[in-house]
Amino acid sequence: MKALPKFEDHSRQDTRYTTCYMCACRCGIKVTVEDNKVRYIQGNRNHPVNKGVLCAKGNAGIMKQQSPARLQQPLMRKPGTERGEGEFEPISWHDALNLLTDRLAKIRSTDPKKLAFFTGRDQMQALTGLWATQFGTINWAAHGGFCSVNMASAGLYTMGHAFWEFGDPDWERTKYFMLWGVAEDHASNPIKMGIEQIKRRGAKFVSVNPVRTGYQAVADEWVAIRPGTDGLLALAMIHVLLRNDCIDQAFLVRYTNAPWLVVDTPGQKGHGLILRDKKGKPLCWDQDTNAVTDASQVEIQPALFGEYTAPDGRPVKTVMTLLAERYLNAQYAPENVADRCGVPAEQIERLALEMAHVAFKETIEIECQWTDAYGRTHDRFVGRPVSMHAMRGISAHSNGFQTCRAIHLLQILMGTIDVPGGHLSKPPYPKHIPPGIKPAREMAPNTPLKSPPLGFPTGPEDLVIDKQGNPLRIDKAYSWDAPMANHGLMHMVITNAVKGDPYPIDTLILFMANMSWNSTMNTSQVMDMLREKGEDGEYKIPFLVVSDAFHSETVNFADLVLPDCTYLERHDTISMLDRPISEPHAAADSIRQPILEKDRDVRPWQEVLVDLAGRLKFPAFTGEDGKPRYTSYQDFIVNFQKEPGIGFLAGWRGENGDQDLRGDPNPQQWEAYAKNQCFFVHHLEDSQKYYRYCNQDYLTLARHAGWVGSTDPIVLELYSETQQRFKLAGQGLYDGPCPTREEHKDRLTRYFDPLPIWHPPLEHDRVDADAYPFHAITQRPMFMYHSWDSQNAWLRQICAGNRLYMNRGRAHSMGIEDDAWVWVESHHGRIRAQVKLIEAVEPDTVWTWNAIGKQAGAWGLSADADESRKGFLLNHLISELLPQKGDGLDNVTNSDPVTGQAAWYDLRVKITPAKPGEVGSWPQFDQVKPLPGMAVSPSALRYQTHRAVNLKRSLWDVLMRGKHRR
Amino acid sequence: MRLGLVIDLDTCVGCHACAVACKQWNTSGTTGPLTDIAAYGAEPSGVWFNRIRHYEVGDYPNNKTVNMPMSCMHCEDADCVTVCPTGASYKRKEDGIVLVDQDKCMGCNLCAWACPYGARELDPVDGVMKKCTLCIDRIYDETLEPEDRQPACVITCPAHARFFGDLDDPDSQVSRLTRERAGQTLMPELGYKPTNTYLPPRVTRPVPTDDVRRKSLISSVKEWVNQAIVR
Amino acid sequence: MHPALSVIFFTVLSGAGYGLFMLVAVLHLTGSYPDASSGELQTQLAVALVLITIGLLSSSLHLHNPRNAWRAFMRVRTSWLSREAVLAVAFYPFALWYAWEVRATGGDVGQAGMIMGVIAVLLAGLTVFSTGMIYASLKTIRQWHTALTPANYLLLGLALGGLALVAIHGWFVGDDPLLGGIAIALLVLAAIMKGIYFLWIREVTGPTINTATGFTRAPVRILDPGHTAGTFLTREFGFDPGRQVIQRARLGVFALGFALPILLLAWVLSGAPAHWLTLALISALAGIGLERWLFFAEARHAVMLYHGRQHT
Repeated sequence: MKALPKFEDHSRQDTRYTTCYMCACRCGIKVTVEDNKVRYIQGNRNHPVNKGVLCAKGNAGIMKQQSPARLQQPLMRKPGTERGEGEFEPISWHDALNLLTDRLAKIRSTDPKKLAFFTGRDQMQALTGLWATQFGTINWAAHGGFCSVNMASAGLYTMGHAFWEFGDPDWERTKYFMLWGVAEDHASNPIKMGIEQIKRRGAKFVSVNPVRTGYQAVADEWVAIRPGTDGLLALAMIHVLLRNDCIDQAFLVRYTNAPWLVVDTPGQKGHGLILRDKKGKPLCWDQDTNAVTDASQVEIQPALFGEYTAPDGRPVKTVMTLLAERYLNAQYAPENVADRCGVPAEQIERLALEMAHVAFKETIEIECQWTDAYGRTHDRFVGRPVSMHAMRGISAHSNGFQTCRAIHLLQILMGTIDVPGGHLSKPPYPKHIPPGIKPAREMAPNTPLKSPPLGFPTGPEDLVIDKQGNPLRIDKAYSWDAPMANHGLMHMVITNAVKGDPYPIDTLILFMANMSWNSTMNTSQVMDMLREKGEDGEYKIPFLVVSDAFHSETVNFADLVLPDCTYLERHDTISMLDRPISEPHAAADSIRQPILEKDRDVRPWQEVLVDLAGRLKFPAFTGEDGKPRYTSYQDFIVNFQKEPGIGFLAGWRGENGDQDLRGDPNPQQWEAYAKNQCFFVHHLEDSQKYYRYCNQDYLTLARHAGWVGSTDPIVLELYSETQQRFKLAGQGLYDGPCPTREEHKDRLTRYFDPLPIWHPPLEHDRVDADAYPFHAITQRPMFMYHSWDSQNAWLRQICAGNRLYMNRGRAHSMGIEDDAWVWVESHHGRIRAQVKLIEAVEPDTVWTWNAIGKQAGAWGLSADADESRKGFLLNHLISELLPQKGDGLDNVTNSDPVTGQAAWYDLRVKITPAKPGEVGSWPQFDQVKPLPGMAVSPSALRYQTHRAVNLKRSLWDVLMRGKHRR
Repeated sequence: MRLGLVIDLDTCVGCHACAVACKQWNTSGTTGPLTDIAAYGAEPSGVWFNRIRHYEVGDYPNNKTVNMPMSCMHCEDADCVTVCPTGASYKRKEDGIVLVDQDKCMGCNLCAWACPYGARELDPVDGVMKKCTLCIDRIYDETLEPEDRQPACVITCPAHARFFGDLDDPDSQVSRLTRERAGQTLMPELGYKPTNTYLPPRVTRPVPTDDVRRKSLISSVKEWVNQAIVR
Repeated sequence: MHPALSVIFFTVLSGAGYGLFMLVAVLHLTGSYPDASSGELQTQLAVALVLITIGLLSSSLHLHNPRNAWRAFMRVRTSWLSREAVLAVAFYPFALWYAWEVRATGGDVGQAGMIMGVIAVLLAGLTVFSTGMIYASLKTIRQWHTALTPANYLLLGLALGGLALVAIHGWFVGDDPLLGGIAIALLVLAAIMKGIYFLWIREVTGPTINTATGFTRAPVRILDPGHTAGTFLTREFGFDPGRQVIQRARLGVFALGFALPILLLAWVLSGAPAHWLTLALISALAGIGLERWLFFAEARHAVMLYHGRQHT
């Protein structure tokens, strides 16, 4: 072979490792840099998350870095101009931070809740939460309330971990995988890698989704379900399993609260609560002694089923009895749910039995000595290799919490939780149910909160309400509207603050959240709200601070813009205190380090937060001399300890950097991470890998690492007493706070239940289904999922304008042809969009890609960019409040009544053809003005880091070669 | 040697990672830059060597979605090379890679006309034809780790749906996969003998249910009472 | 296929030029040119060469990197485009020698001049054939991949040449039954051939979206081509003017390209003034220009199957 030319001069290139930030997967990347420009971004083969692969977004990092929308410098709204006009003038960091410090100091010393601090797709909630706690405001949350709180909450209240970040299918061993409502997202690379792995092994992959794109494309079987009915499908499968006696009774007796006794005194106080002894320990019925006994004992024979009488004379039933009684009922029979779900009864039954077959006839046994939490040793892990994963399609409905609980119940009944081949938790999970943090309620000037703003209530007494039962948080989280709103309700902040309901605020800080565009419901009116003024001429939200790296639509509304840097220019931690990068069998966290030098006057947001914390003299950030304790974010990360030996980073702790998970601060910790490709992994011993809720070796490690508070076994909760306490409160039967308003009573009674229930999504009950016959949902395309990057010059070539996808047959029956423009109308508003007819959607559903539509001029895009002319948002059709009916619920959030999760997918619409000549997306908005100092977006891009070295063909070959090469 | 790609349609989820990885590597690669026009404007359009197309097979509800990444097939009988008047397009004797010598192309588009797979795209600024090089500037770069000497699209694929190797070598992974999974080429009737091969979706194993289906279904909780299980 | 104006100009004008050259030279060399004056012969040949040259120059306009146009002579071994280029250039010395002899001798050329003329005629024919073969050799476009393509190119070139010949003759002398007969015959033949072509391409053969994707047992439809704006491929190959436009254009081809010129020819032959033949020529040029546009517009490239077309 002829020698090839030297294509690359590697001596001019430098390769460094860091962590991707194009979505929430946090993949490891290896970045080759040439002249402070990125030559190539590649997945890090050694990294636990992505093992070398990288998605489309990660591969488009160059264009993120090149984006003309990158903010250049801090900006102030120009005096004398109105908010939202987009007139800004530069301000120095010195002046910007002084101004902000003065404003915040005043709030903190008078009424700290007047600061609302909400963050979007950040990956630093441990820091922002700590900051808010130290500030003393309870008005803090991240974007979980409009993303996936239903999944997190249902999981944490049922099995101590959850789908996605807190758990994964056992890709290596599972033989049957069911994917519920995963809209090409959550997570990105790990799911792709996992699906390939199971398909290669011949496992069956079933997908439950109204749309067959993305992962569903490669599913072995597609269950084209109607949106919002997944819970019913899960409960019908439970019905089938029970009818065929396909439940893992031993598992239920050993690891769940199935044998616990429940007081059965309907209509009386205490009904439905667990029967407990004087110390509060749950009781079960011991079949040896025929008496109640402490359910936490081992070597007893608890009755799984049965009705008994408690020593105090009250009738009791086992949890499992209540469960079986409920789900054996014919209302859950496949033939009775088939129509509603749009899934044939035969298919429901077959799928349930297929799973049963795999769970019980294809059981896996791994020989390995392990010790359970009670000190008994076992010689094998028994695995039931059925696994599941679920996300947005479950989460984004107002019945999502109960639906997700139903799916977990299905998993638990088959004994598939944290077993080989089943659904595995990821350290620091599992946690005790629920984690023992309560949401903060009390605030005082210049005083940190006693606990974090967000936590896990176990009953009405934990709500964040005043004595009259009114919400204390600006987003009304932990109020009767959304008692278990564990991630807050970011989607309600602007509406509530503008209404002054429950009270007005002074300053709103938004970080990396597009709350005037695609991340809000009711986009058009929210934009107006941000401009709204009171009678005093002051804006209803007096001061709006936006930190972002790019010129988003929301930046346009800021009074103060604090420009962030890109992911290749910053230090970050992906912390064990937060949402680490652990894998099922390895605890792992990671960092980001700067790869490129900054070329703009921007600062990383976490650096700004640490700086502000010092200026505002937060106790945890202030030294004994009254001066700021930390010189920088890096300094803070190294030296801050949550409890002795536990900091943001778990690797290379101790003075010499030789301690895993717990140890003194190590001044060289950043360097140690950098040297180890920016991540730390602690692999679990074989004996610690399964049954971790009841695994002594694992729980001992978890306590050492600060992941759990005790080594007590974690009992999986089929039956949620927390739910029952709220239900009792709704019925007025609770010893503690009870709601006074009828609509609250009704909601608690109806939507809370200790055993999963299904109810129609709330919007469906409040609009006329005949008038609005279609479900309308969105998904993010894989190449943009969760990315802050729709303007990316490469990715937008794949999709710069979205269509409304309709079932072909259904559209034809309505006289709608392919490519037609249609009006899409909901109870709340209407938009115009262009249809694309496809087979891959169930006939009652229409869908589109989310967040493709952009406001003209934002994101560095030109005024005529496809995103603004052809792209559209469904958000205009979705109200942040329930559909208006003139009742007490008119002012209640359009969210899950349990968790406050935004009910994006409850939307119902009607579709009518547009008139001839009605083309182009509608509504249209004014063009966003360019910011001072920003360069004009280039037309042609010719990115390269060096001149190309051409591979030449010889003249001899040109002249002499015939048709065939040999 | 006949180097090429084998693409697994059973696992390709259509994520476009390969396409963007290709764009990323090759814009600074041997035929770079890959010009993008109207990068932030209306109708953005650039040069790509690899595009992912999505199809629907069958009618609802028996429809399946298929994602099909397509790049140069490095055909055995490459008409794009045959028709090229300048000799810019050629197929390497050593390994069968079809390349365009950027210094010789006159931009007549005829090679693109001869290609049924849409593998060639004209760079409107350079005025020359560009196409997949099979990352020739990676696969022979001995300063790279051996596992990195593969096309960028293969390395990045999150669903491991792409394989690179010598289809002339019967023992190579690509040849083995082609044999075992009944790999097929696209539009074989045109006779170009494409090297790149597509593995069709696997047939799912049937999961039996008879062995778990009860003859007399449980209808009441009472049927379970009094079972003894030690905790 | 996107119809490139430069290519339409090139093939129509140079085709007419080569056709005219071949007819003039053959009639002249065989001694059957009626009322041949030196001036007329020179004019006929000059017009032919000008048409050919304008056409060739125009063809280079569609090159995106014309600096390398000279390299187009390198691959005669396999490339019809290269062959066309070489033949087109090779034609000039012979054609010019022959034309120079016609001028020098007043039409009474010697043996060398005759040989040059014969070679030039052969090269002209081969050049037009090669032009046709550039398209006919593309398996990707079934509407082109046929012997009808070079046959059409040759016949249409000759028909236009015949019409030019009779028109120019008309200016010099007047109408002539032989030349008029040749022109009518060529036009009729070309029209028949074009009719056969239109009939032939009606039958759908070759690849479909099923064979393109490999899924042959169920209907296949495009869900998404992987880009929302156009690409080089859709711009180059995605042209589709629609059924109605194509029908009208076909009508235009027959009306302007064949029917009107034939009627005008017949009218002139039956006594009308000969300068009407110029109108016939203009009409034919427009008609055949339309034919060339249709040749592209109706060509359905196989790559469009990957963009959602069901068949080519």
